[in-house]
Parts: sequence; structure tokens; C-alpha cells
Amino acid sequence: MGKRDYRDEMIKNETKNINFLQKCFKEYYFNKFKHLESPLDISRREFGFMSFDSKMTRHISFINMGQLNAFLIQNVPAGIYISNSYYDFPTFPINEKRLIGSDLIFDIDLKDLNLPCQKDHTYYICKYCDNISNNLPSSCSVCKSTKIDSTIIPCGICIRNLKNETKKLISFLVTDFGINHKSIYVYFSGNNGFHITALEKDYFNLDSKGRTDLVEYLMGKNFSVTSLGVTQYKNNLKVKIPISGLSYGWRKRISKNMKLFNITNNSLQKYVNRVGGYLLFKKEVENITGKMGVKIDPYVTMDIHRIFRMPGSINSKSGLSKVKCNNLDSFDPFSDACLFEDDRNVDVDVKTRLEFRFKRKKYILDKCSTTVPSSVGIYLVLKNLANLI
Amino acid sequence: MGKDDFAKYPFLNEAGNFIKETYFDLDEFERPEFRHIIEKARKRVEYEVLKGIVCTEFEKYDLELFAFLISLIIIKHINIESITKKYSLFEAMRVEKFLTHDLIYQTNSKKRDLLISKIFHELLDLQIIQFDSQRNIFKMKISDYLSRSTLFHELEWKLINRSVDKGFVYLDVEETVRLVRNELSLLIYNKIKNMKITKIPDQIKLEADSIKHKVIFPTPVQTKNLKFPPCIEHALNQLNKNENLPHSARFLLATYMLFYGKSIDEIINIFKNAPDYNEQITRYQVEHLAGKKGSLIQYSVPSCSKLANENLCFYTHECKGITNPIQFGKKRLQRRND
Ligand SMILES: [Zn+2]
Ligand SMILES: [Zn+2]
Repeated sequence: MGKRDYRDEMIKNETKNINFLQKCFKEYYFNKFKHLESPLDISRREFGFMSFDSKMTRHISFINMGQLNAFLIQNVPAGIYISNSYYDFPTFPINEKRLIGSDLIFDIDLKDLNLPCQKDHTYYICKYCDNISNNLPSSCSVCKSTKIDSTIIPCGICIRNLKNETKKLISFLVTDFGINHKSIYVYFSGNNGFHITALEKDYFNLDSKGRTDLVEYLMGKNFSVTSLGVTQYKNNLKVKIPISGLSYGWRKRISKNMKLFNITNNSLQKYVNRVGGYLLFKKEVENITGKMGVKIDPYVTMDIHRIFRMPGSINSKSGLSKVKCNNLDSFDPFSDACLFEDDRNVDVDVKTRLEFRFKRKKYILDKCSTTVPSSVGIYLVLKNLANLI
Repeated sequence: MGKDDFAKYPFLNEAGNFIKETYFDLDEFERPEFRHIIEKARKRVEYEVLKGIVCTEFEKYDLELFAFLISLIIIKHINIESITKKYSLFEAMRVEKFLTHDLIYQTNSKKRDLLISKIFHELLDLQIIQFDSQRNIFKMKISDYLSRSTLFHELEWKLINRSVDKGFVYLDVEETVRLVRNELSLLIYNKIKNMKITKIPDQIKLEADSIKHKVIFPTPVQTKNLKFPPCIEHALNQLNKNENLPHSARFLLATYMLFYGKSIDEIINIFKNAPDYNEQITRYQVEHLAGKKGSLIQYSVPSCSKLANENLCFYTHECKGITNPIQFGKKRLQRRND
């Protein structure tokens, strides 16, 4: 086939896929609207919508959930987004909205975790001919195109690591930032991560600069050994524990990690010398902060004018919903976040051999046409791993 | 609070009331016995505004209060924005010295508490709580801390370098007072701005004019004669044409400018023309590059060969023999932070 033929074929598939998805999404907004979480103070929030051809519309607002419901059924968007900020005029351009305040929000995503298992379940898909490879090719082995997409099916290890990172974040928020456990809400993002929201009035008015500092704190960035009382001037090591002590926050975390207890100037100085001097001590501290810091996407928390997938809505990269996790340990995204009904089967063309779990069932699919429950069909089509027949 | 306190903290409302209650008239400054107070005020302004030294002299409270009042009139009369700001800052630093001293050495806990509540709670609306009287530690809410600390650029003010626990930041006396310097300086600045004087006594006018003549204005840094290497020139031109720069070109620009000692704000300013400009993100990125300076990992300016690989090199004959943009025109350009 020539390039032109591949294109025509792709467009044909795309149209079929979108027709199918739109129908499913419309049913969801019609029958499953109750899953959409009613937001606090809805009329002060900015909404945004992504269409099936990836166009974003922002600066929209609703007075109540009924109005939103009507909008969804009429427009059938692929994605629904809502601001974590509250505004006097949510529909105005950003600089004229008049910010009231913003909830704290954090994003933990596979892309920031750099897990070694990632390569085992990442698929590279040619944008022209749908050819799939397991390693990132410089160009497609079939049609030589250089336009390559990638998609991930998270594995059990991925999910476990995401959960651990989420717990790490929560423990920071509770012990260091004094945020009540009950004010922290964990959501599965619907695709490869978790969104964590903290409704705490003390941080509601924190500006972007303050949030940046808070993020660096959580990530373990910019820690200075001076704050432990260790300095070096002209090659002379000086140790003087600060008046505010070492018993809280990162100072405590680091000294505990070094197994230093009841520290005195003397014992700290000895420790620094034992690890080989100032520079090596600094290096050790950097290792600890790097290891103990939480891996979050900093920009998500810093930027107060973002919009986020609305809780209860469908993630159009997977067909799974963004759902609240009341019990993080037992939460299984591939069953607890699948809110589509399996009232029928669909026929799909699977693009590559796949092995995955979905709604507590194991699927092993070969690269050929097959019949699957509609929710699995939606998942595979949105993951770009199958076409609807 | 005693009269000494009004003189040390002249922005307190009580200090103003005290002056009002003396039924003092500005014209009285014309009388010869006030000469030495005017002289005192002149010295204070000269020290702070011209020499850049905080004046910590403290005689009798009424002398100090009137000297403060006169110095405000002098600044008002000089009427140069940068001088008003400088004076406000140095007066804030003067207050800082007294306040730190009083908080550490005031043994009368009632007096100390009153000082804390008057200045921190009432005037600055900052709830600081004494944590440990022995060691002089205060705690405050993280959000109260952050709304002030993010104005500082030094690493020590980053939250991560503080004692943080259960929503509170713990600071010693010096740090607590330093944290509010900007606000103190703003109080004094506003006092000057809001002052309404109909007629200034001649003697004060004379002193103010003589100080004004001695003010030397800083000349702006000459950048016109700076000759940038062609790769930097190209990137800057792209930005000026509001074109989007790839990440690698932004990295080149930022590291190059940092190397030549440009400030973070100056560098952020350069990126203002980028179509996707976002101050927050740009600041974060530039500060990240800058923050690493002098630590183990230093972000250096990429080499010519690396730039060539990324299609960012625009070689001209002037580039002959160099392997890094920073070597360009080395004889003409002296590195500022060597
Ligand atoms: Zn291809
Ligand atoms: Zn995995």
C-alpha cells in the first residue's frame, strides 16, 4: 500500500471509532450522570471541554449540575474539566476572572516515576499505518513514517508504585503541613495516575509562588546543608546546629535517615568527617532528599489556572473514569474505574498481541479480529490498540 | 508601652498620638534650640541614604521621635522615589535591630508580650506564637510564612530549609523579625507618601536640598556594546519576533545569561516575548538553573559542538577557534562573576 492508501484506511477507521465512542459517551452522560461528583460552589468554577477531534473549549460555567447535564447530552464532549480555583467571573479571560482561592491539587503520574517495567508495556504505534512495535523506532518499519504515538497499559507494579507515591504524599501533607486526613481526597485519574486534592482553608489563598515552594518541599528540592548547620568556608568545615533545631521537617527526616539521634555540634561534625568531608556529606544529603521526596508533576500544583478532569467523568485516553478511592490499598483501577455497562459485545481488530486484566478477567488477545465486551472495546480503541470493525 | 518604645517603633499609632499630644507646631523647628535635632535628622538620612549604613544611634526618646519626624519631612521634600524606598528600607532595618534586641533581652514577659501583640498581631496581622521562651523560638502558620518568604531569593528562606511541623514553621527571633522587613519598610514608605505638609521650615528645606545634591544616580549597565555570539544573537532575535524557541535554545540563552551574571529577573524579562510565556514556569526553570550554581552539579553553557548537533549554531568568522559560546570575544567581554 502507498502512503495515500494508509491515510484513507486510517480515516475510515477513525470515523468508525469515533461514531462508536460518541454513542457510548452519550449513553454514559444520559444514564450514568450520577457518577459525576457535584463540585463545591459550582457557579464559581471554570469548566472546559475536549471534543473528539481534540479541540479544547474553556471559560465555561454552570449554575447547577442540571445545566451541566443538559450541556453534556447536547454536546457529548470527550473530556470534562473543572478548575481547582474559584472565581468571581469564571467565564472571563484569565486575567479578568478575579481569583477567590484555589484548592491544593497534586498529580502523581507514571511518566514521573521512571519505572523499569514501563518498557514492557509501552506500545509504539505508527500514526499512518497502525503498525505497532515494542521499542521506539526511528521510523515505522512498514511505511517508514516518523510520526509515532505511544500508549501504556499500566501493570500491577505500576499501580503499586503509584499508590506508594500517593501514600508518601499524604504522609507529608499530614505530618508536615498539618492537613487533616479527612480533608484529603484521592482520585484515580482514569489513566496512568492519581490526583490528590486537599481542601484546607489555610492553603486556599496561597499564591503560585507559595505553591511552588510547597512543591519543592514535597519533592525534596533545593535542600541546603546549611539548614542542618553544616557549612564550609575556604575549605574549613563549620558545624553549628541552628537555634530552631533539627527535630522537625526535612532536617529530622535527613538526620534520622543518617541514624543520627540526640545530635550535638560535635557528633554532627564527626559524622561529616566520617563520610569524607563537606562535599561527600552534601552528596549523601542529596541522595536522601532525592529518594525521600515525592515524585509529583510540579507544574500541576504551581499553576493555579489549570483545569482538571472532573471527578466521575470518563478519561478519553482510556475509557476508565476518574473516581474517588476510598480505600487506596484495595483499589483496582481496572474494575473500580470501569463504569461502562457490558450490555453487548463488539467486534474489534486488535493491532498487536496483548495481555491485560480488565474487570477481574484476564484477556490474552492476538493480532486479529475478535469479539469483546463493549467496555473492553472502548478501552482498546481509546488506547489506540484496536479498531472497531 | 513606654515612650522609648514609641521612639524605637515610630510607626506605631501611639507614637503619632504622642507627637499630636505635644501640640507641636512645625514652625517651632525654626527656633535655634531645635538646630541639633535637625542636625541629628540630617545625619540619619545621610547615613542611610548616601552611605548605606543603618543608623542605630539612640538618645532620648523625644529627641529620637522628632528626629524621625524631621527625617521624614526631608525625604518627602527630596521627593525621589528610589530615595524614599531606600530610606524606608534602612529605617526598617533600624527597627529590626531594636526589635530583635528587645525580643531577646526583654525579661519582663508582660512587656515582651505587648510588643509582640502590638507589632506582629495588630500592625502586621501575623500571628506568631511563642514556642519556647528559653530558646526564643516562634512558630507561625506555613501559609503566613510562605506569603512573606517567597519574596526572598536566598535558599535559606525556602520552606524545605526550615523547621516545619504539623502546619507550622519554627523560626528564631532574628529570622522572625527578618521575615517582616518588607512590611516594616512599607509602613514607613506609606507614612512618607501619605504625609501632607503645607509649609516646610527653611532650615529643614536647606538640609534636604543639600542632601539631594549629593545623591548620585546609578548609571544603567551598558548592554549596547556587549557583542553576543551569533547563536545567542539568533535566539534573541527569534524571541523578539515573538517566535517560539525550542527548549534547547531556551536552555542555551538562560545558562549563557546566568554565566554573565545577569539576574533571574533580567533573564525572565528576556523570555517575556515568547508566545507561550508563563512567568511562573519560566521563573521556576531559570531559578532551577541558577540555584544549582556553585553546587556539585553546575549547569554549564552547552558547547559549540553540542549546539551544532541541535541546529543552534550559526557560525561566523568571529567564532574562529572557540569551543563554547562563552569564549566568544573574550578580550572585549569580561566575565562579571569570576
Ligand atoms: Zn507505518
Ligand atoms: Zn509497570
